[in-house]
Amino acid sequence: MTSSPRIAASLVLVLLLATPLVLAADKVFGEGVGKAPLVKVSELLEHPEKWVDKPVRVEGLVTGVCKKRGCWMEIAGDKEFQSIRFKVQDGVMVFPAEVVGHRAEVEGTFVKVVLSKEQALARAKHHAEEHGEEFDPSSVEGPVTFYMIRGTGAVVHF
Amino acid sequence: MAARRPFRFRKLLRDLHRDVGYLAAFLVVAYAISGIAVNHVADWNPNYRFEVEERTFPPFTPASREEAAARLVELLDLPGPPREVFRSTPTDVRLFYEGWTVTADTAAGHAVVERPHERFVLYDLNWLHLNKGKGAWTWVADLFALALLFLGLSGPFLLKGKHGLAGRGKWLVLAGVLVPLLFLALRRLG
Repeated sequence: MTSSPRIAASLVLVLLLATPLVLAADKVFGEGVGKAPLVKVSELLEHPEKWVDKPVRVEGLVTGVCKKRGCWMEIAGDKEFQSIRFKVQDGVMVFPAEVVGHRAEVEGTFVKVVLSKEQALARAKHHAEEHGEEFDPSSVEGPVTFYMIRGTGAVVHF
Repeated sequence: MAARRPFRFRKLLRDLHRDVGYLAAFLVVAYAISGIAVNHVADWNPNYRFEVEERTFPPFTPASREEAAARLVELLDLPGPPREVFRSTPTDVRLFYEGWTVTADTAAGHAVVERPHERFVLYDLNWLHLNKGKGAWTWVADLFALALLFLGLSGPFLLKGKHGLAGRGKWLVLAGVLVPLLFLALRRLG
């Protein structure tokens, strides 16, 4: 019978041809995006109180990703030296290492996080461990306040 | 005319348990391996290993993002301009290439070239186990879950006698129930 090898070869060919199409596609995480208003990262960081606890959508370059759990992405701002963390619950969405260096749209609630000195120390220690850096407790001087987006969905453009 | 054989429920159960077991064997092993891998996600990344190369270069203070990128490409002998560039501070620069990055502290003259690689086999097992594919795989995974449910429910009833549920089986089933219950009780008390 000669048809089986031909069919197999055709299937392999179709898969090979389809691979670049799949790789080039946008990847949707969680609920995706589109419901919240598009806001610039600079606007969020320069006027945070205006946006706290509101749904927002931002777009930008993914500059970092959680290396262990894939539970956050760092999104570059529209202005230099600015970025914002997009954090999701562990396991709800898992961002792969490949997202780094690609453009993304992310959506969620803009939140203000206030940490006591002890909590800030624990966070800094975790950050140092995650990045293989030496932890210096004196680098945390007191309570810390920062802003981030608690994510509901994202689209990464590959 | 041959005598009609009596219907044997336990034999049917054993036959079904055996055949469903054959069907589920691969995924049981695959999900178990992936399960151990993702259980320890706090200690390692179960999907990727990161190849890290540290490099040094003469320190400099770039005037712009473009200058930072161009100087780093030249000093580190990188294969052409990066796809994207990001600076978190005037001297902390990140260059993004397809599938790898360069993180440089230009003031210290130190750079880290990092390449993530999918872990051999484990990445694929996790893909199946964590249902990354969604779509049709969800249905296959649901069927597998039903198969496990059947194996779990039928298993204790396969044998009669002292090795069956009425014998030592009941103590082993009880132990299997008590261990997770103990952890749940501790969770509520703690």
